[in-house]
Amino acid sequence: MLIAGLAAPSLGRAADPEAGRRKAASCVACHGPDGNSTIPTVPSLAGQVATYLHWQMLLYRDKRRADPQMAPIAAALSETDMGDLAAFFAAQRQTASPAAPADAARAEAGKRLAEAYHCNDCHGRDFRGREYAPSLRGLSRDYVVAQMRGFKARTRGDLDGAMTQAAQPVADADIEPLADYIGSIR
Amino acid sequence: MKLRPLRYTLALTCILAVLLVTALVGAQQTQAPPPWKQGQPKELENSTLSPVAQPPAPKAASEIPLGKIKVPQGFKVELWASGINNARVMTWGDKGTLFVSSRVAGNVYAVVDKGGSRELKTIAKGLNLPNGVAFKDGTLYIAEIHRITKMEGIEGKLDSPPEMKVVYDTLPKDAPHGWKYLAFGPDGKLYFNIGAPCNICIPPDTHANISRINPDGSGFEYWAHGVRNSVGFDWHPVTKELYFTTHARDWLGEDVPSDRLDIAPKKGLHFGYPYCHQGDILDPEFGRGRSCGEFAAPLLKTGPHVGGNGVEFYTGSMFPAEYKNRMFLAQRGAWNRTEKTGYKVMMVTLRQGDVPKYEVFAEGWLENNQPWGRPVYTKQMKDGSLLIADDYAGAIYRVSYGR
Repeated sequence: MLIAGLAAPSLGRAADPEAGRRKAASCVACHGPDGNSTIPTVPSLAGQVATYLHWQMLLYRDKRRADPQMAPIAAALSETDMGDLAAFFAAQRQTASPAAPADAARAEAGKRLAEAYHCNDCHGRDFRGREYAPSLRGLSRDYVVAQMRGFKARTRGDLDGAMTQAAQPVADADIEPLADYIGSIR
Repeated sequence: MKLRPLRYTLALTCILAVLLVTALVGAQQTQAPPPWKQGQPKELENSTLSPVAQPPAPKAASEIPLGKIKVPQGFKVELWASGINNARVMTWGDKGTLFVSSRVAGNVYAVVDKGGSRELKTIAKGLNLPNGVAFKDGTLYIAEIHRITKMEGIEGKLDSPPEMKVVYDTLPKDAPHGWKYLAFGPDGKLYFNIGAPCNICIPPDTHANISRINPDGSGFEYWAHGVRNSVGFDWHPVTKELYFTTHARDWLGEDVPSDRLDIAPKKGLHFGYPYCHQGDILDPEFGRGRSCGEFAAPLLKTGPHVGGNGVEFYTGSMFPAEYKNRMFLAQRGAWNRTEKTGYKVMMVTLRQGDVPKYEVFAEGWLENNQPWGRPVYTKQMKDGSLLIADDYAGAIYRVSYGR
């Protein structure tokens, strides 16, 4: 009955966050303690939606999301590892408090833009995400700018094209104010 | 073709007009919501209904509650294969390989039956929602959102798949309803859908249709219009007419509009979208000044929000005689309804001069209004048994009769 060649004997068990903690030892070098990143270009993973994290690892592995550092790391992960890691980081508390925006007026404009572009429709009223859309809390402005530019240029892979589509009408000049706002959500 | 001066001026005027409108819209910052939110009425603004997310991993065989699937007396369900992430459309190769597509997982698989056990190989990955797979004369055709490609001689090269050669790549790139069903018609042409890029909108002339091409990529033409999104069709074994399912628009109500089963026996029919739904409801926004009588009426209203995907005529001899030429409709279920509907395999018996008989064949994937699996496509086996793919659990079930 079981398919041979599907080399995932432990698929039968639920994702294990404690196993994920052990496997995360090398992740935290860049993503920070418990996934609270202090490097602006590296996203925090603490408290992120588990489904989203798991899918992103698959996207990196299958080269649908390009990144020179993540590609070899994801290639070495088993599907069980991905499930465990996603469960671990999703269960961590966000500790890094976001920096106050350098330009408060611009962040305020970004808040209005976030409404105009309907960001909450998928990312949730409080930006905590849903199963199919990531939490935006705790992401740095630099990371958000890079992702938005990538989505708009159709170079940042996403699961079903939804965010690529959503980014198309976003004006270039609106990306930085949006990122200032999202990077400042407390 | 070169533009003549008058046409050139006209074209320029049009471009300027579009630019002006775009600038005005930009200034007002009125952006469209994401497609799944489009058409949501103000009073449902706080609705908690939202799409069902695809799990990133398939269920293990031990996690699949097979006993919950109910089939008619005399039929038996077994788990034929598991661990196939996001398993969707199934098509047979000449030498007995089952090719299986996925959607968001981006993979195409080959399942090789080795007498009781099955071996799974991923033959392509990282693709752009490769829902459509069809096989003919040794070649596997794959439809992604933006292109159709082929792998020649694939069955002899499952461990080192041949390159994907482009058959047709001038398709729209829109993600919403952009994934395709792909099948060979009795005329030897490749048929596929180009869905509406929205929940409800006036689609571009290039969208909301079923189209066809020759297998070499030539001869593109539209077959049916006004089809919001059909991701399942088949041809009647005797009449050779095309039958297809369509997912109806969201946010018009819990019980309307019904999804539909249609017949497109000739080229050029219009099935109503976005003006008329289920053959008798004008769209509140886009239906003004139109009449449902302008459009082809559904053969069968299959129910609201049932998410009808697979359509397959039964031609085997394992099932009782009355099953011959019956249609199996795999309904994956949908999200835009409080009490979920669909998540079943239905069967349709056509009756001369009467409405088709419509009844449940397999159900049980929905438990306490939550799905543990989603039946999405069927495929008859050579021995007349029926495979059902479940993209949520990443599994394929086999339904057999007798003994």
